[in-house]
Amino acid sequence: MLKKIHTILNNMNLQKVRFTVQLLSFVLFVYGGYFAIDFGSKLPIFACPYNKEAVGACYLIPLQHQLSMPAQVLLGGAGIGVIVGFLGFLFWFIFLNKAWCGYVCPFGTFQDWLTMLRKKMRVRFSIYTQNQFEDLSKIKYLFLIIVLFIPLLMGIGVLGSEWSASFCQMCPARVVSPMFSGDFSQWIIDFSSITAMILTALGMIFAGLFLLGSFVKKRFFCFFCPMSALHFIFSNLSMVQLKKDGSKCTKCGDCYAVCDMQIKDIADDVTSINILRDDCIMCLKCIAACPEEDALHFDIFKFRAFSSTKEGFEKRMNIEKPKQAEVKFSQKGHSDD
Amino acid sequence: MTNAIETPKEKQNRHKAMEAIKLLNTLREDFKSPLRSMEYFYKLFEDVHCHQKALHEDKTKIGTMCIQIPSEIIYALDGVPIRLCNGFYTDDEIGGDLLPQKACPLVKATVGHFASGNFSDMPDIVFSPTTCDQKTKAGAVIESFGYKIFDVDFPRTKESEASREYWRRSVKQFAVELSKFQGKKLTRSNLENSIKKIGYAQSLYHKLSDFRKLDVVPILGIDVFLVTNAFFFDKIDNWIEAMQNLLKELEQRVQNKINVAGKISPRIVYTGSPPIFPNFKIPQLIEESDAIIVADETCSSNRMFNDMVAVDEWNLYDMMDSISDKYLKACTCPIFTKNEDRIRRVIQLVKAYKADGVVYQAFAGCTVYEMEQRSVLEAMEKEGIPILYLESDYSPSQGGQLSTRIEAFMESLKTRRRNKK
Repeated sequence: MLKKIHTILNNMNLQKVRFTVQLLSFVLFVYGGYFAIDFGSKLPIFACPYNKEAVGACYLIPLQHQLSMPAQVLLGGAGIGVIVGFLGFLFWFIFLNKAWCGYVCPFGTFQDWLTMLRKKMRVRFSIYTQNQFEDLSKIKYLFLIIVLFIPLLMGIGVLGSEWSASFCQMCPARVVSPMFSGDFSQWIIDFSSITAMILTALGMIFAGLFLLGSFVKKRFFCFFCPMSALHFIFSNLSMVQLKKDGSKCTKCGDCYAVCDMQIKDIADDVTSINILRDDCIMCLKCIAACPEEDALHFDIFKFRAFSSTKEGFEKRMNIEKPKQAEVKFSQKGHSDD
Repeated sequence: MTNAIETPKEKQNRHKAMEAIKLLNTLREDFKSPLRSMEYFYKLFEDVHCHQKALHEDKTKIGTMCIQIPSEIIYALDGVPIRLCNGFYTDDEIGGDLLPQKACPLVKATVGHFASGNFSDMPDIVFSPTTCDQKTKAGAVIESFGYKIFDVDFPRTKESEASREYWRRSVKQFAVELSKFQGKKLTRSNLENSIKKIGYAQSLYHKLSDFRKLDVVPILGIDVFLVTNAFFFDKIDNWIEAMQNLLKELEQRVQNKINVAGKISPRIVYTGSPPIFPNFKIPQLIEESDAIIVADETCSSNRMFNDMVAVDEWNLYDMMDSISDKYLKACTCPIFTKNEDRIRRVIQLVKAYKADGVVYQAFAGCTVYEMEQRSVLEAMEKEGIPILYLESDYSPSQGGQLSTRIEAFMESLKTRRRNKK
């Protein structure tokens, strides 16, 4: 019975499953407001409340607000609020780990749809060279530092209130997300102060880059996302994990070939058991493209919810007998492992 | 019967036919419960090597000197890949006059074959990846006989990103050259189709391998070597069909519990220099010593089929990159600087196929396999896996000494197995 469940899961058409889950969560998180749903403001995804119909908010918003409180308030009772807020974030996060990015985040989903459009137009995707990859990969930590330290500097009075929610001012999600419900008002530069002007101008530039970039590069923005960096710091606490059995890996590179994030370790690292890397969005395409039995697997606690198998690989890659050699033969009944 | 004197070509054909038929007859008659569906393969080798039958008269034949030349691209460009690695002692002797005496017999035989110019399917162009020193240099020797040879640059380290990029460029260059030669454009749909066709052949090989994981093994290792060797030159559609018939028969055998080995026959993983028809000397000695080869790590069998290509978007260049990576990164050839991948692979095969021991063969003269021997032996010792290291060549005179060592090894494995029980 358990074996049957495993076979069904391992043979699934990941692409379809993922598209469906993403579509549903996109509708829920972008248009849920019409149905008066509210998930609170600690979500580990870019569900942007600048879009009036969003059903919750990206945790980076309350985080920035809380940290920007005057230092003496923060070190007093308000510090508890920060901890409670963080626990709220962690509560959501532990269920899905980075799969929030690959399956739920509306901003990520939107990039996947741009990718689909590009595919339809037969435009080839771009990739980074290994050196570009290594340099650019650090940017998300830079953004995370902005998220954490600019509010703290406001708290001790070094920076003024025009720096409020400074990451949001720059964030392309603030500009792009409201468009989903027909609101284009964020395409504007705020001239109220020089700081605001620079930050919102950056926001516009990043939004432009976002639209252009994610058309030619798969998951362009995720690479720079401070939420992704925050996820990674706590990823070991999650109940779902991406694991690899290096002894079964032949380094064929199939997983790397399909990886939207160009993570090389997925193919080349044969010693790590936990193969989740900071850029990973846990889309699980690597497992779907791995032809070695159980070399890569997605675990919910100890349960292997999705493992790489030869059978699943052949199904997903559409490997069928060529038309010239049409001979019937049954495939069952000889595997005992 | 007018020609009393035999020409050199006729003599070569006669000697090769004798070598071929000797092995084929052994396969047909000397082992218990032969498989009916293997007859296709016996007949194929007999036709080609005893009767010089041409299989691809109407097609452009693309010779390859190693497994690193992607057959996906050759099929996509409407050519037929013919792998020219050679296993005949007759050709080895011809090549021996042209290369150093201590050179690898496989390279000598390949060069000897070219020197004779005696092909049933003469290659129209030959692509030679610069793998080991001897193969690399052989390309130029063969070119001097008047063949059209194209060297395909192959890196000797595979860990670095630079080597990945380098090899990707080499494969592209190869595709460009072949495309020019064929006067045909490599298209997205052609390449996708050929990837899927080869993928299907690979999936059949994997199904065959599954049978060898069973406790009651329905097929000899030496038969499997013949099947995979046939892929070097056979018409791919015929091969696929024959393979499907073979799998059907094996399924039947599993139900009838037919065992080609004995109850306590040691299960062997074979690694090292590739058995290439008709030099099946070592596999034959192993299986005549009441052992059974259940898996191998060689470039004439497992390494040819194991890794299947996956692509995300099926664009031409993505397919090219994914194909390239598979032929470099997954390759466990000993020519690379270090080779933990090969050791890992052998250990994994021992576990997955529940093997009792490993036989490591190196051709005398195959320096890279000889050099890697120590590290593999050490690693196996650490894992507690018994291993036998053998050196052999193509000469028919070596049998006695080798069989003594192999039999002793198999006996020790049997004792080990009995003691475990």
